[in-house]
Amino acid sequence: MNVGSTFLSVGVAIGLAIASSIVVIAIAKVRRVRVGVSARAMLAPFRLGLVAMASGEDEGGQAKIALCALPAPIWVRVRPSVVAFLPKVRGLPADDLTELMRAHGEIDEARRMLSSRSAVRRARAAYLLGLMRDADSVVLLLPLLNEPVADVRMVATRALGTIGDPSAASAILRALRTQHGHIGLPAWVAAEALLAMGSGIEPALQIGLASEDPAVRHVCAVVAGHGTYLLAAPQLRILLATDGDGDVRVSAAVALGRLGGADDAATLARHAEASESTVLRRTCATALGDLGHREGTQALTELLGDGDRRLAELAADSLVRIGSEGIARLEEAAATPLQGPSARAARGALELAGMRGQLAASDSGSS
Amino acid sequence: MTEPAKIRIVVADDDQDVLDLVVFKLTQAGYDAVPVGDGVAALAAIEAELPRLAILDVMMPGLSGMDVLRTVRANEATKNLDVILLTARARDADVDTGFASGADDYVIKPFSPRELMHRVNAVLARGNR
Repeated sequence: MNVGSTFLSVGVAIGLAIASSIVVIAIAKVRRVRVGVSARAMLAPFRLGLVAMASGEDEGGQAKIALCALPAPIWVRVRPSVVAFLPKVRGLPADDLTELMRAHGEIDEARRMLSSRSAVRRARAAYLLGLMRDADSVVLLLPLLNEPVADVRMVATRALGTIGDPSAASAILRALRTQHGHIGLPAWVAAEALLAMGSGIEPALQIGLASEDPAVRHVCAVVAGHGTYLLAAPQLRILLATDGDGDVRVSAAVALGRLGGADDAATLARHAEASESTVLRRTCATALGDLGHREGTQALTELLGDGDRRLAELAADSLVRIGSEGIARLEEAAATPLQGPSARAARGALELAGMRGQLAASDSGSS
Repeated sequence: MTEPAKIRIVVADDDQDVLDLVVFKLTQAGYDAVPVGDGVAALAAIEAELPRLAILDVMMPGLSGMDVLRTVRANEATKNLDVILLTARARDADVDTGFASGADDYVIKPFSPRELMHRVNAVLARGNR
């Protein structure tokens, strides 16, 4: 009897708990919908003006004047839409939206929030200052590169990249290093930010290529190749030949393929030889195709018969990309009566090139 | 005297902000802009409205802009439609894929609405294929 009533009590208690949870969830949902409807209703009179500003069609600046004059309680509702438009446009509309944010004190507030105790607020503030491309905030964002919280460091780096001030490049490269027990910035975050800063980073890049830290040399080599920083070529040749870090040598080879000259074909060919690591050989074979100079033809033709089939395929593809002379070598290799590995690699590359329409383009290019 | 028919342009983007501002810009420039929020609706609008140009976001739910483009190019009735891809995908390989799939132009987000209009005008000026 006692056991039965205990089970009943427990059952009732569980039932009540489930029912009250359902009621709480339902109330929260209704409240959220109401807030959304009310926010949309509050925004509705200003939406057209905001769209006009964001599309660069605010002639006479009437919409901007009206939005700048919004009282604080209404601005709080309009603000998320302005922030949502900011990363989607550039040019004059982005400048107008930033001016609107500034008029409502958002830049000053974001700068204050950079020193908030909350990591989320610091990250949000850095993100906003980046969105608003506020060049005056660069000096305030730099300390965040040494932050204990990794996410804040990454957001600050991206913000600096969006602002695009090359004076921040050296600090970003320094932040790649693991310091005070914090793992350094991810290489790709630093590389993207540096690439967004344009040609002004070249001096920092040259210093970084000579850094004692392989992570810094690696990022600098990647950036030099993507951004075609021609002044970096001599240092990249040295890194490819002598660096003790495999990743650095590989990124230097990729970069040389993108920005090197005809003389670099011999350098890349040398590092595609059998004494090198598989990954470096394959990278150099691809880089010879990126380079696109006929000086790479002989080395690539020899690689067609290599025991590493992937290397042979990459070499064959690079010969296609070199153009008519490379394709002629492939046709010779494909026509050999023995039909060994060279012929197979050559035939495969020619078939793919035919499907891509590269053979016709090469014919018309050479005629 | 009757007003000349406006040039019809289908704009497909699942981002309401981008959709609103592109449609507003086109309308202000005198075009007849037809907004849709996904790839399936874009394809339906293209087949129903037979516009001169479509501006397609690449990453949309259901059919992507690239899927819509390929379908349009494979269809006899729509294969000559001018198409501009408007997308956040900015890598060289993405741009190559866009043009290889038959796009007439490729605009990367964040974009300048003014520049987009220049590109719209240029693509339309090149005329039908």
